[in-house]
Amino acid sequence: MASTNRAHREEGRAYWAMVTPAFALYLLVMAFPIVLSVILSVSNYSGGRMFGGERWGFVGFGAYVRVFTDPWFWNALKNNLYIVLVSLFGQLPLGFIFAYFIYAKIVKAPGFWQGVLYVPNIISVIVVGLLWQTIFSPHGPIGEIVNHVRVGNFQAQLKSIFDAAGGFSLSDDVINKILHLAGPAGRSMFSDPVPELRDLLSSYQGQPMNDVYAALSNLFVQKWSPAFLTKPDVAMLPVLFVILWMYTGMYLILFLANMQKIDGQIIESARIDGANESQVMRFIILPALSGTIVNSAILAISGSLSSFALIFAMTGGGPSRVTEILSIYMYNNAFLGRPNFPLANAISLIMVLISFALIALTKVVEKRYGGKED
Amino acid sequence: MSEAIRESRLKKTLSTLGRGAVYIVMGLFAFMTLYPIFWLIMNSFKTTREFQVSQLALPRAATLQNYVEAWKMGEFGLLFPNSIIYTLGATAGIIFLSLMAGFAFAKLKSKATKPIYNSFIIGILLTTQTLMIPLFLEVNLLGIYNTRLAVLLVYIGAGLPIGIYLSTEYIKAIPSAVVESARIDGAGFFKILLKIIIPMSVPVATTLAMLNITNTWNEFALINILVSKTELKSLPLGIYKFSGSLSTDYGKQFAALTIGMVPMLVFYVIFRKQITKGVAAGAIKG
Repeated sequence: MASTNRAHREEGRAYWAMVTPAFALYLLVMAFPIVLSVILSVSNYSGGRMFGGERWGFVGFGAYVRVFTDPWFWNALKNNLYIVLVSLFGQLPLGFIFAYFIYAKIVKAPGFWQGVLYVPNIISVIVVGLLWQTIFSPHGPIGEIVNHVRVGNFQAQLKSIFDAAGGFSLSDDVINKILHLAGPAGRSMFSDPVPELRDLLSSYQGQPMNDVYAALSNLFVQKWSPAFLTKPDVAMLPVLFVILWMYTGMYLILFLANMQKIDGQIIESARIDGANESQVMRFIILPALSGTIVNSAILAISGSLSSFALIFAMTGGGPSRVTEILSIYMYNNAFLGRPNFPLANAISLIMVLISFALIALTKVVEKRYGGKED
Repeated sequence: MSEAIRESRLKKTLSTLGRGAVYIVMGLFAFMTLYPIFWLIMNSFKTTREFQVSQLALPRAATLQNYVEAWKMGEFGLLFPNSIIYTLGATAGIIFLSLMAGFAFAKLKSKATKPIYNSFIIGILLTTQTLMIPLFLEVNLLGIYNTRLAVLLVYIGAGLPIGIYLSTEYIKAIPSAVVESARIDGAGFFKILLKIIIPMSVPVATTLAMLNITNTWNEFALINILVSKTELKSLPLGIYKFSGSLSTDYGKQFAALTIGMVPMLVFYVIFRKQITKGVAAGAIKG
């Protein structure tokens, strides 16, 4: 009896020695900040030393009122919601479909597709953000491609005009056709278009035709500048595109891993019984993956709440705050200009509460689907 | 009969067409993934002038000058070792603490297991980034702002929930008889942890290593609020420096981005299978 007691005590001591370091650290990083944000969100703390500095204390729930009446809060929440929608209706379905194509061997080389489509996930989001910022900027390759195509089209049409005229010719007909091609914007460069353009072109007499084409396209083809990220009304679109680009591969990996856990014999015997592709999908694959799909959806929502660095690097929340998300809204309130720590902590706590709501939702869903398969 | 043959031939044509469409869609996606990366690396060898002339053409005379300058300006010589310290330190810490606590949760009897273990599970969805403002204030309060210790503590604490979940589930599957017979032979619990459990947990430790190495190496939001001294910064912070006023000096910016991207690409090429396995395991639970 005494020895079992001693063994019991030893087990208890070992238990706490093993659990305490992890639990203490976890409390330090997760629990304590939550407590701190509760306290500071109802205080008038404005920075500096917390103890022995400027005195601060309880002032009430004004910070929450300010958050909920601030249109920028709702703007940020709306952007988070867009991200959630892109995840739920973009990344998840695409990831699922791609996973199925690989799983059902509709495409060859499964390793290649998995390997390539997952690549964006292992690159730092800072690199991804800055890379796409450049691609979508006026100096990016999209503008170069579009303008290249425009110039190419314009020159091809010029060539057919001159070819029809049998070479370099300055007849009224040719001049008019060129002016027609130039459009109203091109014509408006001249006060008397036909003679002025003829004068201009006559200086090219005897030069190679390519020079003539180049000169005319320089003059008439309007350069297109793809300033997606600087136009407030469209700036969110490239951001959402990059989010889709980045994370679709992760859901592909997730869905494929769970599809591969399905017993192949079930599908085999269903096929023998005459089930077609869509029946296999509907009655075997989808039910087997329901838990994974729900978990992925919740993961996507909590992922959107925590996303920060990608948009921070890509747009910084701009232009004029239209791409701001909750985390950036919070960050700017704490670190940009005069810090408003009560407000920033209130935002932080609101985000934590949304997370808790999600966790509760997971539990409910888990009970209903019994989806704890791993 | 001929009707049936025609029908099956039609089916075959349709499925070939469908297959072609699948290849096109997935191929397009793969192209959109790889081309920007290729484009970035290619342009990092051009001067800014050449980049402005053409962004699509291959570099005419590849220059390494961008790398030399970006390395100096970003002070990557300082940041690289920091990134390695943070990544290895946090990963080792998470694995060891997770296996130790996981062993206690899975094999030692205690009434405390249920509430403590469940609180870790909650932490899986509670992302640390939402707490960055109170964390910043806490670190200041504790007087460890601008220290490597703060970065490591926060990284380890943030990685523990998923680490403990995976470790506990894994160790639960190890037969209890293994532990019991070692107990009868007189081994203490720590000896069992070190000599039996940890060697048997290499697969789950590998999964955790893959998850945490990639996460920590690329982490930005937290370290951004934990340190401001250059000699403590990690690579992503250094790369971010190339965004503001330097963002139009494309040559240097691209070189910096490539420097930030290549180590993980190499790591991925070597450990692709293990990394994707880790992702699938790590994302399972809500």
